[in-house]
Amino acid sequence: MRKEESLTEHLDWPLFGALITMLILGLATVYSVAYNEEAPSLFNFSEKYGRQLFWILFSLFLGLLVFLIDSDIYRKFAIPIYLSTLVLLVVVLFMPAVHGAHAWLGVGSFGVQPAEFAKISTSLLLAKYISGLTVKQQTTGTVLTASSILLIPMVLILLQPDAGTFVVFTSFLFVMYREGLTFDPILLNFVNAIPGVRYKETWVGSHFIPILFALVFLSIITLLLDSVIFHVNLFGWDLELSGSSGVIFGLVLIYTLSWLLMQRFSTRRERSRMMIVLTLGLLIASTLSFIVDKGFDMLKTHQKDRIELFLGLREDPNGDDYNRNRAMAAVGSGGFLGKGYREASVSSVRSNHVPESETDFIFCPFAEEWGFVGVVVLFGLYFFVLFRIIIIAERQRAAFNRIYAYCVAMILFYHFAINIGMNIGFAPVIGIPLPFFSYGGSSMMSFSVMLFILLKLDAQRKDVLR
Amino acid sequence: MNLDARRNVILSFIFLVVGIYLVRLFYMQVIDDTWTLRANEIAEKRKEIFPPRGVIFDRGGKKIVTNQTYYNLMMVEDSIVDLDTAAFAKLIGWTRQEVRNRFKEIVDGEGSYYNKITGKRTPNYQTIRAYPFLKELTLEEMSKIAPHLANFKGFYEEATSARNYPYKSAANILGYLSEVYREEIEIDHFYKPGNNIGRAGIERFYEKELRGIKGIKYIVTSALNNAIESYADGKYDTTARQADPLKMGMDVVLQTYGERLMSKKKGCIVAIEPSSGEILSMVSAPSYDPNLLVGKRNISANYPKLARDPNLPLFPRPLQAEYPPGSIFKLVQSLIGLQEGVITANSGFPCDKSMVGCHNHPSARNIAEAIKFSCNPYYYQAVRRIIQQGVKRNNFADAEYGLNKWYKYIRSFGLGKELDADVSGQRPGLIPNSDFYDKWYGHHTWAFSTIRSISIGQGEVKLTPLQMANIVAIIANKGWYYTPHFVKSIGYRGPLPQFRKKHWTMIDRRHFDPVIEGMRLVVNEDGGTGKQARMDNIIVCGKTGTVQNPHGEDHSVFFAFAPMKNPKIAIAVFVENAGWGGSWAAPIAQLMIEKYLKRKVTDKDKEKRMIEAQIAFKNVD
Repeated sequence: MRKEESLTEHLDWPLFGALITMLILGLATVYSVAYNEEAPSLFNFSEKYGRQLFWILFSLFLGLLVFLIDSDIYRKFAIPIYLSTLVLLVVVLFMPAVHGAHAWLGVGSFGVQPAEFAKISTSLLLAKYISGLTVKQQTTGTVLTASSILLIPMVLILLQPDAGTFVVFTSFLFVMYREGLTFDPILLNFVNAIPGVRYKETWVGSHFIPILFALVFLSIITLLLDSVIFHVNLFGWDLELSGSSGVIFGLVLIYTLSWLLMQRFSTRRERSRMMIVLTLGLLIASTLSFIVDKGFDMLKTHQKDRIELFLGLREDPNGDDYNRNRAMAAVGSGGFLGKGYREASVSSVRSNHVPESETDFIFCPFAEEWGFVGVVVLFGLYFFVLFRIIIIAERQRAAFNRIYAYCVAMILFYHFAINIGMNIGFAPVIGIPLPFFSYGGSSMMSFSVMLFILLKLDAQRKDVLR
Repeated sequence: MNLDARRNVILSFIFLVVGIYLVRLFYMQVIDDTWTLRANEIAEKRKEIFPPRGVIFDRGGKKIVTNQTYYNLMMVEDSIVDLDTAAFAKLIGWTRQEVRNRFKEIVDGEGSYYNKITGKRTPNYQTIRAYPFLKELTLEEMSKIAPHLANFKGFYEEATSARNYPYKSAANILGYLSEVYREEIEIDHFYKPGNNIGRAGIERFYEKELRGIKGIKYIVTSALNNAIESYADGKYDTTARQADPLKMGMDVVLQTYGERLMSKKKGCIVAIEPSSGEILSMVSAPSYDPNLLVGKRNISANYPKLARDPNLPLFPRPLQAEYPPGSIFKLVQSLIGLQEGVITANSGFPCDKSMVGCHNHPSARNIAEAIKFSCNPYYYQAVRRIIQQGVKRNNFADAEYGLNKWYKYIRSFGLGKELDADVSGQRPGLIPNSDFYDKWYGHHTWAFSTIRSISIGQGEVKLTPLQMANIVAIIANKGWYYTPHFVKSIGYRGPLPQFRKKHWTMIDRRHFDPVIEGMRLVVNEDGGTGKQARMDNIIVCGKTGTVQNPHGEDHSVFFAFAPMKNPKIAIAVFVENAGWGGSWAAPIAQLMIEKYLKRKVTDKDKEKRMIEAQIAFKNVD
């Protein structure tokens, strides 16, 4: 039994403040991009900004409800919540397709996407499952169970098909990594099958996930920049660099930077070990990027086509490359200070040059109107939110709370990274929204509820005795 | 295992991504201007300025293709304020309903684009964008509207240029312009929807040489899309440049005269300057005024009429009509026979009418006489010696050997293939070789007796009038030719490289003399078939031809070059369904030669008779 307290006591005000700032910025951007001279009122619910305001208010109301309920239920009811989401994910497959995907449940414009809520319920169940494990239980069986908690909704979402949300679900792998639930047991099975080898752990197995992702990230960037040519002017010496050599150039830059940082901050004992890791990392990464670049050239045409289609490097049936090119033009034309509020000439809905500029491509009008300065502010806000969530995560007494917090952080990070990446040519165009900015009820509600559950868990962290 | 350190791995991931993205964004937004220029292009803040097309001169320096200013009445829906439809309709002379329909038409037509992906027209009408409401108004039409435009906000005039053909002739040579197709825009991004592109003739072949270099101007606009100033002080702007003029080898006076001579007749005239290969005149009769196909309005009004005309004015006869060459082929056969050594200049053959029909004349005692009399049996006997040389024991194999040898000679005259001329839409004609007859009859089942009609240019052989005129030029040059072409110089750069290369036939120069002598006899000696082409002071060498026509009256054909020494003009004249070659084609050729060499014609009666004659021409109202 806990004593009666005011709702806002123990609320993490910095995170809450950042959330409200983002919601206001997002609403302002939607207002700007979808502005209609004939209905300028923000409270006009036939306009997108009116509806977005409604969704924000409704989401805050849901947040209030979350705060009224004891946070204990999330752990207790994680399994039923998860299962009912699965049912919804199955049901939605039988709904009529909207834009070619069976993703919407409900009528007309007031439908919801169960996939958005599956992120929350999967987070909850994953947190519950992993928090129940001890370090010794890290076996092949537990790794597979944890993976299947992700895999079942992922498969259902892929059937819709919704590639974007599918990719977002891989963010949970980072959470598993953070909790020490890695693929090492599986790898050890293979390694130890070699006669005479008896490892307790392997470095590659333990850090399998970040290594894998670093490599995938690097390969994608190499491929995307393959066709780009940079002009670098070094002391009046004009260099023409291909995109992939640009990647290697960037890697060397990062290496040098980390080396300088290390000289300054680390002890001598750590230094030599980290030097080895860094140098090895640089060599492996450069080789990989080189191999991807050359290997891609050697592929057969139809294989190349398929990869280029996926990455949106060529005009495909959905015209993603066309969208991306226009989106990049909008972002790039923002300049340092931007064109000014409601002056987005390329990405406003009215000019109709960038499709989906109020939803998946909302970063375009923002970057066009506020320029690089605005981008820095936005990035600062996101970085602050992510950093703050990780601080919150690390101060939890209960493993459940910590794991859930990491889930939230990673999901938000994924959305941020892929969505912005789409706008600047660093990620394939797989329509996923920018949290708290993009127009749309489902994403607004799910992200808010996700964050409010975290805030509530955090507010009640001291109640937990374990 | 220290799991807490893994927090740092995740944090550095986040840090890295945010950092890389910021660097990238700084590059895109602050350093690199590419995206800003692209955005200006997308938002149509990039104006493309198209220069007027290059002008075209004839060989005498007369301007035969010029540009004329036209006006478009543009409209921007967002700028329109309280349009008084009735007053506006009255101003442009339309009904109110027509004005309303035009607005709808713009939204569905100009305001939509073809989506490659879905294969459908997709609406893309934008109220802030300018669309042409009326196109291609003349100065007179515009001057009636322009003073009142101040009352109609959202409408303004915009000047464009269109072609003008002051001589009203050579439509078949010059071609015309029309709006680009979607496919052409996709291939060549020079064009924007609504631009014109050369659709036929010189305008098409020299499209890239005529269109010039377009200018680009970046502008900064206000919210209402009015241009305020140029972007970055015009740092990225480029100026439009008109293309250098084309100088043609055509003589516009001769061309116009030829079209007059051929009026109310069907057929064609091709005249070439032998020493350069420049085409002096290429008449395709009946012809039409090229100004009929200037601009969208004219094309939609006049093109269907021309296409429906039973006299086929749009059919480019000199390039596409494939006729059996008839008697001119005898000249080529003589040359091959002489080169192969199977006959000599003094070989005589009896006029044996049992082989093939001929008209009444004494037997030819040498080649010159054979040409003068155009003796058919003579050439049966002469060509038999070329085809059946007795090299192989098998008669059929021998014919195969001989025909393929003959084929190589013929090809060296530029026959059986399209000439590499600066005009598209030529037909190759047909010169049969052994493969052709093997397919037709079967391997080793044919010999000279099967294919003998090629001896006199009948049967399977087909040539276009352009190719035949080129044969005349070759004979005038005694063995070589430059590929016939229209444009003698692009700017001051001379003709295209392929027209600077001399092509040699496989015939030695000395073998031409008896043939040319025969052509002189045709015109200048009594009993010759072409005395209608005779001239005072100038020796014309010619050859009549009568092309058998299974569908009606024979075609009248005449080939000539003049003067005999140092020839200036080689000409081929075809008059369809006009009968015997000497009757119509020869006098027309003579008038053309006189007009070209002396610039005036003495025999006015003959001229009048030729111009007024109507042959196989259907009157159209």
